Amino acid sequence: MFLEIKDLSVKIENKNILKSLNLNINKGEVHAIMGPNGSGKSTLANVLAGKEDYEILNGKINFKDNDLFDLNIEERAQEGMFLAFQYPVEIPGVNITPFLHSAINSKRKRMNEAEIDNLSFAKLLKSKASDLGINIDMLKRSVNTGFSGGEKKRYEILQMSILDPDLAILDETDSGLDIDALKIVTDGVNKLKTKNNSFLIITHYQKLLDYIKPDYVHVMVNGSIVKSGGSEIASEIEKDGFQKFQ
Amino acid sequence: MNIQDNYLKNKKNIFFSQNKDIQNHREKLLNVFENDRFDKKNNESLKNINLKNFIDFEYKYLIPDETSVINNNQENSYSIVSVNGHCSSFKDDKIEITKILDEDYNDFSKNDTIDNNDHFVNLNSLFLNSGFKIVIKKNNNIKIKISNIITDDNLTIFQKNNYICEEGSSLNLIEEYENKNNSTSNILNVIKLEKNSQLNHFLIQDNSPNHNLIITSHSSCKKNSIYTQKVYNFSEGYVRNFHYSELVEINSEADLQGIFFLKDDNTSNNKTFVKHLAENCKSNQVYKGILNDHSKATYFSNTHVDQVAQKTEGYQLSKGILLSDNASYFSKPELKIHADDVKCSHGSTIGPIDENAIFYLRSRGMSKIAATKILISSFINEELGSIDNEQMSEIIQKKLVRYLSKVK
Repeated sequence: MFLEIKDLSVKIENKNILKSLNLNINKGEVHAIMGPNGSGKSTLANVLAGKEDYEILNGKINFKDNDLFDLNIEERAQEGMFLAFQYPVEIPGVNITPFLHSAINSKRKRMNEAEIDNLSFAKLLKSKASDLGINIDMLKRSVNTGFSGGEKKRYEILQMSILDPDLAILDETDSGLDIDALKIVTDGVNKLKTKNNSFLIITHYQKLLDYIKPDYVHVMVNGSIVKSGGSEIASEIEKDGFQKFQ
Repeated sequence: MNIQDNYLKNKKNIFFSQNKDIQNHREKLLNVFENDRFDKKNNESLKNINLKNFIDFEYKYLIPDETSVINNNQENSYSIVSVNGHCSSFKDDKIEITKILDEDYNDFSKNDTIDNNDHFVNLNSLFLNSGFKIVIKKNNNIKIKISNIITDDNLTIFQKNNYICEEGSSLNLIEEYENKNNSTSNILNVIKLEKNSQLNHFLIQDNSPNHNLIITSHSSCKKNSIYTQKVYNFSEGYVRNFHYSELVEINSEADLQGIFFLKDDNTSNNKTFVKHLAENCKSNQVYKGILNDHSKATYFSNTHVDQVAQKTEGYQLSKGILLSDNASYFSKPELKIHADDVKCSHGSTIGPIDENAIFYLRSRGMSKIAATKILISSFINEELGSIDNEQMSEIIQKKLVRYLSKVK
């Protein structure tokens, strides 16, 4: 099993958010989690990425034969986990290009691979940026600083394509995107899909899933997955909302 | 030993002891010390310091054996070594350097911008034992680098320097304070900018833990003149930066900036004060601090706009990052505006490093320590990026790397 979440319960500030959650993802699969506001979707994404604000009450997560809780945030990233943030953080003064260069090399170092030199990295970055319709001038700016909502999401996907993760978690990547930007972003995701990597897509709406076809759709309500199935569930939600699952 | 006895004992070694006016002024100052209750709560010059160390001190001063050196190593560029506050005299068609004179003392003692209750400035006036005066002659464009060297342990340097930029002149001044001995330097710089002149003043402070540096400056700017001051404090010993500017004629500007990097149980007290006394003048006061371990800092910024100073633009900003729960930074911005057509603002933000930003960087594979360091560097990126002197920029970068290497 690529990612195995078993009986996971999590709380933050005395509030139980995830309750005995179970989820299995195999290599090459695309899973979507849909759920109403406050159902715990972003908490799950943050817990997987290693955010330290949460208290793990119970459960286990295995990722690529590692106990995920033995790995800190950066070790998870270096092992191939990537979280595309719902609200990417603005970091004034940290230039995009050296930041991403350092990020890719930290991963290569862990994998005992040779570091990528400046020139090769510049070429890689330029080509990936061009695929996503990102202006080269944007790469001279600080991380997410002064970006529009759409630019931030596109930049998340650019980072994802550079880091080439084994498991990408997209936390409401569709929020704040107009239809053209949504298409560019989802095209970028589809290009990255291979039989060796997996995606966990968190969304409220079916629209995103029209562009990225999931193998499985899960409905999450009140911290647990209450229904799993194929893409027909997304259509059901689009038609009737989440009411019937609550 | 109390101040009075200390003064009387060492009077013969103190500058201008024979001058009656100066003696009268000093007697008044002695009375201030005698009668002051040392109100730490309301006197900004007393915050965060152990007053006893500074008031009850053993006076020791050595006239340097070797005369300080001045090299005119490049055209318009001068390198000065000031030893125990002394500097040799020099004169050419562009600059003139002399010892300070009685009249320079009077220049300062009559100044009412600097707080009369500033005990460190008063100590400087009482025990004055060194200093120099530099005049940049009309329409010259000059670079000066001053290395301030203290030769022995336990010296008490009370130094007063005068800088005069004559009309149309421009001075790029770098001052380095890098002393490793156990001494105290109490320095007062009085700076005068005549019409259309400019002074870019950089102060690099990097003293060892037992060296105290108390530095006060007062600049006055005439028509169309610009004074910019950038302070970089990497010292492991106590540093006090109190800097005052007066914009006395139209279209003049003062830009007072500082960054301090504190660790262990070090303390730094900072103050900037700009008085707008004429129309169409601009001022900027920006201090940023990074505080680790048990370090402490204060920053008082103050903009005073006189009723004649219409069309004033005055900005203040204070920012601090606390890298430890035990570090503290007290910031107090103040505006006093007596004119009605002005643009003024002030702001202050102090807090720990942004945990969301740390999480974001770590989620891309960067270690926690690397993420912390990159965020500290980015916090002062704008200030470091604005250094247009390559040599200065390199020096500051090296010192920053050294500071960051101690951040855990």
